[in-house]
Amino acid sequence: MKRLVPALVVLASIVGGWYALAYSLDNNFASSDGSALIIPPPHRLFEGLNGPTVERIADATQISLVTAVVGFVLAAFVGVVLGVAMSWSRSLASGLWPWLIALQVTPIIVLTPIIVRVVGPSFAARVLVTVLISFFPIASNTLFGLRSVPRALHDVFTLAGASRMRRLVRLQLPAASPSILAGLRVSAGLAVIGSIVGDFFFTRGTPGLGRLITYFFLDTRAGPMFVTAFIASLIGLAFFAVVVAANRIFVEPWHRP
Amino acid sequence: MTNIVAPSGVSLRAERVSHAFGDAAVLHDVSLEVRRGEIVALVGPSGCGKTTLLRACAGLLAPTSGTVVSDGAHIGNGRNGNGRIGFVFQESALLAWRRVEGNARLLADPGDAALVDRLLAATGLAAHRTKWPHELSGGMKMRLSLARTLAARPDVLLLDEPFGALDQITRHALHDEFAALHAEHRFAALMVTHAIDEAAYLADRVFVMSHAPGSIVAEITVPFARPRRAALRFSPEFAKLCGGIARHLAGTA
Repeated sequence: MKRLVPALVVLASIVGGWYALAYSLDNNFASSDGSALIIPPPHRLFEGLNGPTVERIADATQISLVTAVVGFVLAAFVGVVLGVAMSWSRSLASGLWPWLIALQVTPIIVLTPIIVRVVGPSFAARVLVTVLISFFPIASNTLFGLRSVPRALHDVFTLAGASRMRRLVRLQLPAASPSILAGLRVSAGLAVIGSIVGDFFFTRGTPGLGRLITYFFLDTRAGPMFVTAFIASLIGLAFFAVVVAANRIFVEPWHRP
Repeated sequence: MTNIVAPSGVSLRAERVSHAFGDAAVLHDVSLEVRRGEIVALVGPSGCGKTTLLRACAGLLAPTSGTVVSDGAHIGNGRNGNGRIGFVFQESALLAWRRVEGNARLLADPGDAALVDRLLAATGLAAHRTKWPHELSGGMKMRLSLARTLAARPDVLLLDEPFGALDQITRHALHDEFAALHAEHRFAALMVTHAIDEAAYLADRVFVMSHAPGSIVAEITVPFARPRRAALRFSPEFAKLCGGIARHLAGTA
């Protein structure tokens, strides 16, 4: 209960501020049917949601969710494999690292049109955008975790004559798992961003959440715009929650930083 | 692998081992042997190369010159001979993500479950088998580390200041437990320590090392019969032996 109070106070302040803003903006309710143009107050959020609109939002949610999930899973795989490869080969690590940094600091939005042109406006292109934006924190955290295994633990495996694979699976990956999960936590949010930003450049086919929100924006349909934004936010939260749950199950019982 | 016929009864032999890290010489011309079933202690000031010598004996480090032979096989970098060499690390080196039982089984043969059970019982850990390492006290961690290493049935046990991080009461209890485990499993042990009384209480022979670059300045035979009792620590003979070791350490013998 004590922990709930601060959260409730913040929630009440946000809702209060939201109402204050909605009713203080001059032209907010100047539309012909009286619906909000800029910010719908919370209790009128779902007003503009007629059947076809709900269907469009549902389709877009499905596309963006599937893109984010597939992209995130692939990013996790690519990130861990890259981290392992770089921990095995110093020359691969030093050769690859500057390019990974360059890729990481390049805003994904300028790469997206290039990817859509090269790959074509397909599901694969959406996933590629998602993977590109989200694999780096996993790769770098995996590499860091694999390299941070204490020497004495390596010695235990060396004395047991452990193969490289056994050392990786029995020692390095478990030891690096807290670090890998920290990377996944960052990447989870990025994957959702990637799936939605990537969508902006897909001018054909069913729109995802990114393109749908621009349609609602251009049509000045504030209610559906807000609902779409909330759904994107919920997807991000769900991703985050999955990683936090994985951390709670696999890492927290034994890990004491 | 070159096979050398070792003198019978010798489990581990270091011959004229010298080592330098870059320009810094840490070991100079060290020779020693550990016979079957014997406990040998290596005492010396910190930084005298004790740990380096132990790592060379384990094959974790290739010395600049000299050889280490265990049960007829050369010990090289990453190769630990024909005999099974166990190593007990200062900081216990447990896997934090494995429970007590999982750590105890780590190095054991899959068919040696009964031995693991016996060792867990002997080290007082049987009731704690589902605990995580972070839930154990320092003494329990070291007991687990010992149990884990012995579960691999080593012929030679190398110990790097195994009891150094423990309080005195726990340390004395562990001395007796270690001696009991040794009496049962009869491994040859080479133990690095900076505690003179520990060396005198546990070892059959004590080698004293000089400051870096470390070399052996004295070999002292410990005359006390086994099993040794705690009362031994308060006897005049024990004090005299410790005093002798201390004088060699100080370089005034």
